[in-house]
Amino acid sequence: MLEIRNLGKRFGEATALKSVSLDIPAGQMVGVIGRSGAGKSTLLRMINRLAEPSHGDIIWRGEAVSALRGKPLLAWRARCAMIFQQFNLVPRLDVLTNVMLGRAAYKGTLPSLLKVFSPAERAMAIHALERLDCAQLALQRAETLSGGQQQRVAIARALVQAPEMMLADEPIASLDPRSAILVMDALRRINREDGITVLCNLHTLDTARQYCDRIVGIAAGEVIFDGVPAALDDAMVRRIYGVADNDPRFDESATSTTAFENIPSLVPIAA
Amino acid sequence: MRENIANFDAASIAAIRARHPLAFQAPLSVRLRNQAAWFAFFVLTAYCFWTFDLSPARLWAGSGTLLDVASRMFPPTVGDAFNDYLWALFQTIAMAFLGTVIAAVLAVPLGLLCARNVLPVRIAQFFFRRTSDTLRGIDQVIWALIFVRAVGLGPLAGILAIIISDTGTLAKLYSEAIENAEKKQVDGIRGCGGNPLQTIRFGIIPQVLPVMLSNVLYIFESNTRSATILGIVGAGGIGFYLADRIRTMLWEEASFIMIMILIAVYVIDWISKLIRRRLIGGAAETSGGLH
Repeated sequence: MLEIRNLGKRFGEATALKSVSLDIPAGQMVGVIGRSGAGKSTLLRMINRLAEPSHGDIIWRGEAVSALRGKPLLAWRARCAMIFQQFNLVPRLDVLTNVMLGRAAYKGTLPSLLKVFSPAERAMAIHALERLDCAQLALQRAETLSGGQQQRVAIARALVQAPEMMLADEPIASLDPRSAILVMDALRRINREDGITVLCNLHTLDTARQYCDRIVGIAAGEVIFDGVPAALDDAMVRRIYGVADNDPRFDESATSTTAFENIPSLVPIAA
Repeated sequence: MRENIANFDAASIAAIRARHPLAFQAPLSVRLRNQAAWFAFFVLTAYCFWTFDLSPARLWAGSGTLLDVASRMFPPTVGDAFNDYLWALFQTIAMAFLGTVIAAVLAVPLGLLCARNVLPVRIAQFFFRRTSDTLRGIDQVIWALIFVRAVGLGPLAGILAIIISDTGTLAKLYSEAIENAEKKQVDGIRGCGGNPLQTIRFGIIPQVLPVMLSNVLYIFESNTRSATILGIVGAGGIGFYLADRIRTMLWEEASFIMIMILIAVYVIDWISKLIRRRLIGGAAETSGGLH
């Protein structure tokens, strides 16, 4: 169970996240939606402690991870694997090494700096790549891969961290619809098969509806919706995305990248 | 079930290894090649130590004389030519400055012409690259000796030497920065219908300018130091006095001149740091560092 208590973040004068409180049971798949700048990324980065909270607590299984320092903090980052919009692989290293870097927090510093990996680590990396259907790419440089392949390699890297939770920050925002489906399917499968809690920032509403058990809507740094996808109605969606009630051009499917069967007709633009 | 490294016992590792042997070990030919390269590297290094007789005993023997010279340098003494030193130091800095500025400008077209992504014509590229290699392949001091013959003793020879060799060096550094430039912005300008010059001006120059400026500032710092050497071979500046004081064994005055040079170099380092921060910094803001 992940408990977030009054978590907030300020950057100087600007407030990125006012005060967020959430309880997330282990094994849930949660979609976080909201406009750009609503504070979604800040929330995920604070849970992983890539960003320092200005106030509030993060508690995982009774342990206050927001107070961790030093080695336990590095171990925590490994336990809640982060997945980034731009994949954040090392482009000039091969795929296998990129994935094995997921073991960084578990290894001695010297062997990892010298890129010495044990057969078990290699096997684990290959196994993770096989689960993501990318094992055949193991010896290629990461920069030669397509976006969808890179994101799946990034998920394999997250898997070898043996994480208890996965935090995915807009994992499909830079991908084409087909790659987006592969990546979301992979996250969903890991969530179901491994029992890993998944927190996923999304800006496409239908993806959140389709894949997540629960949707959290954030606007202007505060949670304004928290419930099952079915409970999310048109009025609430307009509030989350800050669209006027009387603006007829707004349609939920307009936030979609994966709507194959339901392509909205072009909206005529007033000259 | 979550992934766990303890799940990978000998049998499952062997099974995965059978499917992906190359993920566990590079092919024999690659391993042999790497080992041969390392072997050659160590043999060459050992040979150099041996052939130049770099033994601790020799270094120890030399250190006695060195200490003797060092002790003669104290206390640093100004002598009776302080104003001459000051003028000569100014001359040295001015040589470095003028030489670097002119080289920095001349290197721009040469650097562009050397870059593969700007001029994708192999023959032309070969020509421009060899030109820049030649300019910097011959050391500044050699150029200075040549120009002292050609235009006579004095700062002009030094300035010419700096211009020639650093045009080559900067062209090389510029062209590398240009070749590493991102293609996205280039395509952005080309996609607007920009001609080649417009594409270079707006697609490449803005992104490589910080690197170019950084190189120029470093070369200027480095030239303030090395312009001293140019004085020693007769190309003007403080180096002339330094060489003279060393030749006549006036060690105390020599050390005074060295201290003057050091102070000048510190000041220039400091100024160029300010310039760098002013012109290049700002965007270099990072969040959180490495922790």
